[in-house]
Amino acid sequence: MRRLAGILATAVVIGFGVLTLFGLLLDTPLLADPAQFFLQLVSITIAITIIIGIFNLLTVHLARISRRQTGWGYSLVLVISTLAVFVLTILERVGVLRTEPAVTTILLEQVQVAIESALAGLLLFGLVYGAYRTLRKRVSGWGLLFVLALLVVLAGALPLPYLAPLASVREWLMAVPVSAGARGILLGIALATIVTGIRVLIGQDRSYRE
Amino acid sequence: MNNGGTVETQGLSILILILAFAATVIATQVIRRRRSAFPIRAMRAYESLSPIVGAAIEANRPVHLSAGSAGVGGQNTLLALANAELFYRVSQQAAIGTTPPLITTSDTTAIPLAYDTLRRAYESRGMMGGYRSTSVRWYPAGPRSLAYAAVLTASMGVNNVNANVLVGSFGPELALIAEAAARRDQGIIAASDQLEGQAVAYATSDQPLIGEEIFAAGAYLGDEASFRAALVTQDLLRWLLIIIILLSALAAVDQNVSRFLGNLLSTIAGER
Repeated sequence: MRRLAGILATAVVIGFGVLTLFGLLLDTPLLADPAQFFLQLVSITIAITIIIGIFNLLTVHLARISRRQTGWGYSLVLVISTLAVFVLTILERVGVLRTEPAVTTILLEQVQVAIESALAGLLLFGLVYGAYRTLRKRVSGWGLLFVLALLVVLAGALPLPYLAPLASVREWLMAVPVSAGARGILLGIALATIVTGIRVLIGQDRSYRE
Repeated sequence: MNNGGTVETQGLSILILILAFAATVIATQVIRRRRSAFPIRAMRAYESLSPIVGAAIEANRPVHLSAGSAGVGGQNTLLALANAELFYRVSQQAAIGTTPPLITTSDTTAIPLAYDTLRRAYESRGMMGGYRSTSVRWYPAGPRSLAYAAVLTASMGVNNVNANVLVGSFGPELALIAEAAARRDQGIIAASDQLEGQAVAYATSDQPLIGEEIFAAGAYLGDEASFRAALVTQDLLRWLLIIIILLSALAAVDQNVSRFLGNLLSTIAGER
């Protein structure tokens, strides 16, 4: 029975996948229309997964609270906050709570955005620490070249007249080796994505095979 | 002219797909018959995974697996599937321990995939008693994924994580997570499909993975011919791309090469 379900799932994936792929590649309405319909179904499914996400969040943290696990106090704050935002959103939607701007917007902008901005400031220290860690762990020719390039790029960005030659070196570094490396990485990812897609289309992916 | 360009692009896309399809199928069959046909180079990040999981089991602490914002249905669907294979392999190894691995995601579409991956890993070991659905956790990303990073920095400490496998879609916020992991002396293997995230991952990882190496987990950690065949196909496409880039460079300086390539593209696209 289970094997049959696996075969059925594989057949559905291959059928829908091939139809959608050719619908997107070829301009014929016969294939393009069903492809667009399938993509709409995907959008609806994605919307449903948000409910799964909220359910997951509440389940995990309610379990932590009930078991009094380490840090359960944070979970309690999270559950209360989630439920409070739910209630506030419902009250706003039914027209009971009418403020300008809306309370939920204030919460998002004053709490969420503010905290994220503060974290963005901390990011710099994380990045500097990362660079330091690279040197500490891997002192090699490549590591030294990396540091040298980093120093040239940083020094070249300084608006000092006697560092003008470094600015042109910096420009060259950014335009040629950095750009080439970035494109190489992106092309590699693109090729791997194509091959993974082919594996899915020919039913070799584990997600529905077992 | 524009329409001609579109036709050429379509023709090339179909050609690449057919080539990739043929190469994958043929390579799978060859590898099934002769496993040593296509040897793969050593990759330290994947080699170090087993000792990391072993150490976590001994310490009775979880391994933290995160795919960041990789999810199903969007641009990085296939990345999410590749991550699922990596997480499956790690979870399979960790299943013999008493503490299940912790899988976190910031994309809701990855939650069902994560549940399924963890369940199948435990099932494959016959250890369903150790499976905990609460080991899969969704933390909302926020506008710049920084909220997700902030939660992880706390979660890694609260859950007493032993090591972190952060492979998926991350931006520079990965630096915050990596810094928190390093402060707690937790191991870290990181890679991202985003350039900023990849740069941070390279600098902060104990063993870095770069670019397409994220997709190679199945071939390195598993035993199936199809995963190895996927690597062979990737290499074939890569060489093809290198040849095309070199020819394009030649075409830029030589009119004859340029004319030849133009005719070739038209023939492929069926334009006569």
